[in-house]
Amino acid sequence: MNFEITTLLALGCGYLVLLFALAYATDRGLIPERLTRHPVVYVLSLGVFASVWSYYTSIGNALRDGYGYLAPSIGISLAFLFSPMLLKPLLELTKTYQLSSLADLVAFRYRSPWAGTATTLVTLVGVTPLIALQIRAVADTANLLSIQVSESAIAFSFCVLITAFAILFGTSQRAGRTRHDGLVMAIAFESLVKLLAFLIVGLFAVLSGFGGFDNLDLWLQSQPELLDSLKNTDYFSSFHVLALLFFAAAVALPHMFYVTFNENNDQRALSIASWGLPLYFLLLGLPVLPILWAGLQAGSSVPVEYFPVVVGAAYGSDLITVIGYLGGLSAASGLIIVLTLALSNMCLNHLILPISQPTANQDIYRWLLWRRRALITALIWAGFIFHFIPDERTGIQITGTIAFTACLQFLPGILAILYWPQANKNGFLSGLAAGVSIWFLFLFLPLFLNSDSASLVALNWREVAALSLIVNSLLFVSVSLTTKTSDEERSSADVCALDTIKRRKRSGLVAKSPREFIKSLSKPLGESTATREVNQALQDLGLDMNDRRPFSMRLLRARLEANLSGLLGPSIARELIDGYLPYAIVSQHGSSDLNVIERRIESYRSNLSGMAADLDNLRRYHRQILLDLPLGVCSLSFDDEIVMWNRALEKITEIDSSEVVGSQVNELQEPWLSLLSNFLDEDASHSYKHYFEINGNKKAINLHKAQIERTGTQDSSHEGVIILIEDITETEILEAGLTHSERLASIGRLAAGVAHEIGNPITGIACLAQTIRDEFDNEEISGLAEQIVEQTDRTSRILQSLVNFAHTGTSKTQYEDEIVSVEECMDEAKTLVSLDKKAKDVNIELHCDPRIRIRGDAQRLLQVLVNLINNARDASQPNSTISMSAAVEGDFVRLSVSDEGIGIPAAIKDRVFDPFFTTKEAGEGTGLGLSLVFSIVEDLKGEIDIISPVDKNRGSGTEVILRFPALVDSNDGLED
Amino acid sequence: MYIPRYILTLLIIIYLLFLMSVDWINQPDGAWYRPFFVGFLVVCVAAWTHRRKDSDEF
Repeated sequence: MNFEITTLLALGCGYLVLLFALAYATDRGLIPERLTRHPVVYVLSLGVFASVWSYYTSIGNALRDGYGYLAPSIGISLAFLFSPMLLKPLLELTKTYQLSSLADLVAFRYRSPWAGTATTLVTLVGVTPLIALQIRAVADTANLLSIQVSESAIAFSFCVLITAFAILFGTSQRAGRTRHDGLVMAIAFESLVKLLAFLIVGLFAVLSGFGGFDNLDLWLQSQPELLDSLKNTDYFSSFHVLALLFFAAAVALPHMFYVTFNENNDQRALSIASWGLPLYFLLLGLPVLPILWAGLQAGSSVPVEYFPVVVGAAYGSDLITVIGYLGGLSAASGLIIVLTLALSNMCLNHLILPISQPTANQDIYRWLLWRRRALITALIWAGFIFHFIPDERTGIQITGTIAFTACLQFLPGILAILYWPQANKNGFLSGLAAGVSIWFLFLFLPLFLNSDSASLVALNWREVAALSLIVNSLLFVSVSLTTKTSDEERSSADVCALDTIKRRKRSGLVAKSPREFIKSLSKPLGESTATREVNQALQDLGLDMNDRRPFSMRLLRARLEANLSGLLGPSIARELIDGYLPYAIVSQHGSSDLNVIERRIESYRSNLSGMAADLDNLRRYHRQILLDLPLGVCSLSFDDEIVMWNRALEKITEIDSSEVVGSQVNELQEPWLSLLSNFLDEDASHSYKHYFEINGNKKAINLHKAQIERTGTQDSSHEGVIILIEDITETEILEAGLTHSERLASIGRLAAGVAHEIGNPITGIACLAQTIRDEFDNEEISGLAEQIVEQTDRTSRILQSLVNFAHTGTSKTQYEDEIVSVEECMDEAKTLVSLDKKAKDVNIELHCDPRIRIRGDAQRLLQVLVNLINNARDASQPNSTISMSAAVEGDFVRLSVSDEGIGIPAAIKDRVFDPFFTTKEAGEGTGLGLSLVFSIVEDLKGEIDIISPVDKNRGSGTEVILRFPALVDSNDGLED
Repeated sequence: MYIPRYILTLLIIIYLLFLMSVDWINQPDGAWYRPFFVGFLVVCVAAWTHRRKDSDEF
């Protein structure tokens, strides 16, 4: 094998440029988002875990351990297969609190910057061999293909290229905030390339090396020692430890943490990765054995790990050699880019920022960006230097194992985050220190003692790994149980623990509005950064700059801490937030944040089972009762913060619950502010009949209140007030209407009495006038007497009409069942209406055949017509015409009263028959007229209909149409 | 500790598959790719158990 070095360089450069172009196209939106954000891309990007360890080392492992080489794949696959137990809860935590690395997570959970710093340091020391391993593998394989150039020169060139790429795409955006789509796409592409390359080389090994699968089987049967080593069970001793190492690595290795949690944009993607990633590793493990056997059959003298590169050349195919090389290059470059990017964030947040922070005058984003770039460069070149240090004879298998064993030390701490709230920082730091010390002494240090690989293997890394883990766990547990845990740490443990939904304490903040937040944060961050961060947090929460609710302010504070944590790490973020956005009131007894608890339970609902789920259902049921109660319910906390505002109250107050829940009572708008504040100050538990206006509508309410007594233990106690608001507007209107009706009825009765009393003397006058007319022959006197008789007749008719009208509408009035002359009724109504001299002067026309009859009650019909004519007159202009007509239509008699007035607006058309609905000024109408008409018409078995406007062009005029069953036979021949 | 039902199902199936397949994989005359066959079965079962959408988990 002797490729030109220029060819290899061109291949390396070309491949990285391709990645560059792909990432660039993705970031510029040239590739559709549905493709770049597809779960498969996420699954493939997780393939970054398959570094040169899976690509090269697995071949050597297969030779030594047989099927034991599958242990790493099985370890990582188990972590993903059971993701709901580890990865999903961690994903939720990292997303909620913007934790971008394991160090962030640990510092957040154990409330200790030292925990974050220790995690970063151990990771840094632990994974540097892993970076060195990638550089070494690329350099070794390139050196195998071209002996012209030294391995160091190749490693140097590779590091230059990979540094440029990592800086360009890893730090082009604000870390921790957005998904790096370009980078993810490039990493996914790399994973695809290495998988395809490995599969192609494997297939080539079978077809060219053995001439097909059958021949491979035949060859294998002739190699009993190979079959024995493949199927021996000796590997079981290391299998479990190796699987555990890789299980822990799924979370503990910075690049895996970064891709799994930071670059996840959809929880469904993790569900797909739960089986997608195991499938990926299954496919990646498939070609290992054929490549190994093909290399052995060819008698290759190169280290067995590099068979994927040499097997092509061994069977005369340069193309396969190049493909094999590209696969390895892809595996190495992908890991270095993501690992250094993730590690740079960790170092920045936990090593640099605690010592040196940007001033308020500096552009914080730019400051962070340049330091991150410097760190990436430093890390890659540290790996470059490291790759010289181990002895040439130390295999890449040993180097990798050492790196993975370092990360194993985080496993107890990670598991405790989710499953052991009693764990504390002392326990974590003690366990980590002990475990790492064992690892350092027995695995890491020997690398520098110039010993050969045989002696390292003799140390038995399995025992060292197991011992370090056991000592770590024992110390972790014992120290956690014997030392004191701070309140802050306990609270953080509750937030992280899976099984606890404890009550949060609620306190007021000094800053009362987003603007005050900006003002406070401007001191450490500068005004522009503070404004940007507060705006971003408001946008994330869907809140408004004018929102001043304490609940919103607490949410804003938590969101700001999470966002700043993504930028500066949790320790610095917490320091900033605690320092510049402090609480005004120290958490006190009874101040549990029910809104936050409720939100948390809602988000946790699918995890509830058994009795917890039953209790949650009960809670929901009771809550729903309160929400749907037809009475307004407002519950207040002990400090007058609104906790509940139910639907009925939303309707009464016309204020949405989302606007007021979480705010103080004294922030309510009038009239509710005065009403509720005054009522809360009163000693009485009930307060009746409060009148006020909302948007021009008169309202009346009754108020009731009760104290919410403390329940349960001190810790879970809560006190407050519940206020019931009873809307009595309708009842009040009905009462007023009834009073008015009663008054009218009294006036009616009075009028009837007066009419009756006047009737007697009028009758006397009429008798006397008739006597005079009949007794005297004097024509002049007779004429005058006749006129007196006529006038008294007229007076009698008027009085009779008054009596008739007064008698209708009372419950005592019985319906008559008589034959009614419609024409007479209409005429009488016309006469009656004309008597009102104060009303507008209108011309009332009557078109009715005198023969039309219906069966019913004449007085009731009269009342209907009088009401309709009065309404028509009220709506008409002076001197306009009101027409009354009657006609027979089939089996019905159609009566119509129409005017040329203003018509009825469409919006109120459906309400005109409602009792007490009126458009007239106060005191001018009772709102009972049409309602009475409607009920009388119904009683008379008729129908009523309103056409308005009659004149569609001018939009004026109203016609009320009444239909009554026609009287059989008597109307024959009258139909139009 | 809360363990979703489908994860318990998966755990049991994987355990049973492991028990049943260890001897079968290590039979001297068995094909070399038998572990991959078992692995593929596990992936299929996992894909089936993870098919539901955990829409309210976050």
